[in-house]
Amino acid sequence: MGTLKKLLKARSLSSAVFLAALLLAVGAVNPSFLSPSNVSACFNTSVVYTLVAVGMAFTLLVGEIDVSVGANLGLVAAVVGTMLRDGQPLASACLVGILIGVVIGCINAWGVAVMGAPSLIFTLGANGVLRGIVYLYTNGAWVENLPKGFKDFSSVTAVGSLTVYFCAVFVLVLAIHLILTRTRHGRYFAAVGDNAQAATLVGLPTRRIKVLAYVLCGVLSALGGIIFCSRIGFVTPMSGNGYEMKAVAACVLGGISLLGGVGSVIGSAIGAVIMASISYLLVFMGFSSNYDNAITGVILIVIVVVDALLQHRTSKRNRRARLDARVSMGGDIR
Amino acid sequence: MEHGRDDALLSVRGVRKSFGPNEVLKGISLDVMPGEVCALIGGNGAGKSTLMKIIMGIYNPDAGEVLVCGKRVDAGRPRASLGHGIYMVPQEPMLFPNMTVRENVTMGFAAKKPVLDRELSRVMDEIGWGFDLERTASTLSVAEQGMVEILRGLMRHPKILILDEPTSALTFDEVSSLFSIIGRLRGTGIGIIYITHRMAEIFQISTSVAILRDGAVAMQGPIGSFTREDLVRALLPSDTKAGKCQAAGTSCDIDYGKPPVLELRNLSGYGFREINLKIWPGEIVGLAGVVGAGRTEMATTIFGRSKVLGGSVLLDGQDITGRRTRNIIAAGVNYVPEDRFRDGLFCMRDVEENTTSALLGEGALGAVFLDGGKAGLVTRRYVETFRTKVTGISQEVGGLSGGNQQKIVIARTFSTSPRVVILDEPTRGIDAAARGDVYAVLQQLRKTGVSILLISSDMEEIVELADRAVTMFRGRINAEFSKQEISQDNLMSAAFGMRSQKSSGEVQYTWVPSKSYSRHEA
Repeated sequence: MGTLKKLLKARSLSSAVFLAALLLAVGAVNPSFLSPSNVSACFNTSVVYTLVAVGMAFTLLVGEIDVSVGANLGLVAAVVGTMLRDGQPLASACLVGILIGVVIGCINAWGVAVMGAPSLIFTLGANGVLRGIVYLYTNGAWVENLPKGFKDFSSVTAVGSLTVYFCAVFVLVLAIHLILTRTRHGRYFAAVGDNAQAATLVGLPTRRIKVLAYVLCGVLSALGGIIFCSRIGFVTPMSGNGYEMKAVAACVLGGISLLGGVGSVIGSAIGAVIMASISYLLVFMGFSSNYDNAITGVILIVIVVVDALLQHRTSKRNRRARLDARVSMGGDIR
Repeated sequence: MEHGRDDALLSVRGVRKSFGPNEVLKGISLDVMPGEVCALIGGNGAGKSTLMKIIMGIYNPDAGEVLVCGKRVDAGRPRASLGHGIYMVPQEPMLFPNMTVRENVTMGFAAKKPVLDRELSRVMDEIGWGFDLERTASTLSVAEQGMVEILRGLMRHPKILILDEPTSALTFDEVSSLFSIIGRLRGTGIGIIYITHRMAEIFQISTSVAILRDGAVAMQGPIGSFTREDLVRALLPSDTKAGKCQAAGTSCDIDYGKPPVLELRNLSGYGFREINLKIWPGEIVGLAGVVGAGRTEMATTIFGRSKVLGGSVLLDGQDITGRRTRNIIAAGVNYVPEDRFRDGLFCMRDVEENTTSALLGEGALGAVFLDGGKAGLVTRRYVETFRTKVTGISQEVGGLSGGNQQKIVIARTFSTSPRVVILDEPTRGIDAAARGDVYAVLQQLRKTGVSILLISSDMEEIVELADRAVTMFRGRINAEFSKQEISQDNLMSAAFGMRSQKSSGEVQYTWVPSKSYSRHEA
């Protein structure tokens, strides 16, 4: 009973239901959509979004935000792509890419957690700087002619028509979820976002946790950049642009609170699948993919507003129930 | 007491701290022995919270050191302080609102979950507090949050436990169970620093007293060597005379033949039911009751913040039930909230803006452009009559002490010339001197015909000020007292739902009247 109640309350479940309803609705409009290959394509295209969204989830969980994830991904994709094109080994390219992610995470963490700058503004600035570096690095040119084997690996399937990438990311998200919910240190992230002062008072290393959240966000975005290279096969100077909005939307859709302390990475991963599906689904609905950004924005706004309303209503109802519990009924005063 | 004793559990030696040009601590030395309950008292702004934050490692002292069992504690690191066995239960509960009670209590421990759960149920059994551990902290009442904080402290088996006004949000039963816990902890040899504003508590549970005044220890020693008068004298600034206590203003100047200014008829809302109450012009009506009796809820409902479920509110015979707050203020009813930090103050703004902000809407300071001179005049007048301690009217309010902040909130309320003012715990967390000032101000104001509904958990305050008093118990008014009938005993037994005064023996915690610590010059 308790677990059932918990399950019903879990926001990640309601976002999963939303995803299923979305897929079925599109199937109702265009029955040709409901084939295994089309549905699994929705999942397969989501891997990059998922990585970025889970990274974003870490920063949102500790009560901050990182909007530099898009440029981070773009820079890593450009560097890794260039190295591979120039014939460097895959391992060293990946290593360099991940190191870039670590460095970017450290810089953001320094600004936000150490210097105490407002995270939205600091990472917005970082986003601009990183995007500028991409242009300088690539001279504004596209990175093309990546090794064929690297590109082809993105379509290798592991389970049914689900790709190796999807399965790997699936396992990774599951592992992160278990760490965040089942381990002592994992709960620290939510605790810091819930009430940083309280976290300090019970002796949690508040600053270190925020630093870790940013570094993990940087690394996950960098991983996203590497897979982006492999899946898309070329890198433009604008690659990854706008991913921050998709990631925030995915997190919010998956039930992660923008105020910090609430939510699960499973939810943000499901949100990422929804985000990835939208542009794919538009085609089946007979719309141009030009609607993509506007729809993402609308979804983000609708969810945030509905969430605020729901939250307001629940807290009001809780308060009223609490108050009424105290009132004595009739004349039974001792 | 001799300083720097080797057997001291906690030694604070020569601690100094300045914020800008303002020296808050001027060389504090303090020892706490095993099994000692050291009551730390002092006016607002005396430096208590700064000292505690230094002991907890939240602030870095400019000079001096903190030692636990003779070992130096790394300054400025909360984890180091916790590691030495210091734990502070803060005055305002600091929980993780979205986590369960269990997570809140066990967060930050290295032990495995089953071990922690066993320990938690052992501690809960010991103190006899029942909690649904799976409840989310945001659904707890303030008192319950305070209890979770204390639970959290006890789970750490601290060597030194700092309790910062732990009883301010607790009900009577909870206070008595807290006191028995403190007694038991003393027996186990831990040292307790107990910060309080309530004199009665000091003599009840502490073994020693330290009084802070203006950043220095004014007096300290075992409790037995002091009388209450000694403490009051040490607390008050040296230039004022203590103990000048006069009977509150007589109620004979209130004409009960006139129609009442405010009338509540069968008013019901969330947290209270069927309230009938009349308030006459120039009257101070005390509203007593325990935490959670529905007093604040009733006040905020009258003020238009919550939904009215039934009944009506009449102001001069005019029905103002369920109006919007701004219309209710315009009609002449105002409310001074209990939690001045959350509901009352614009902390980032200065004294002037805070005092005059209620006048903005009426255009009293100019319809479009503000008349700066007039605003300054109004502010200065209130700063003077309320004797608010500020460096100037452009000082930021967030940096003031609690008493001074409260004076500013009250000043703002009265600047709109209301007919009826509801004051919710106006002196909570305020030192004796500032309390006296607030009382004097209220006496002055009622002479001008303003009626005051005084919500207070400090029974003494109601005895002192009220012309008439009612008590609420579980959401209903259960007793009413005329001026002659008001006594702490009467109020207290009614607040606990016991109408017969004889049965007050059932209350375990005995209330020691502590009338002498309020000061009156009105």
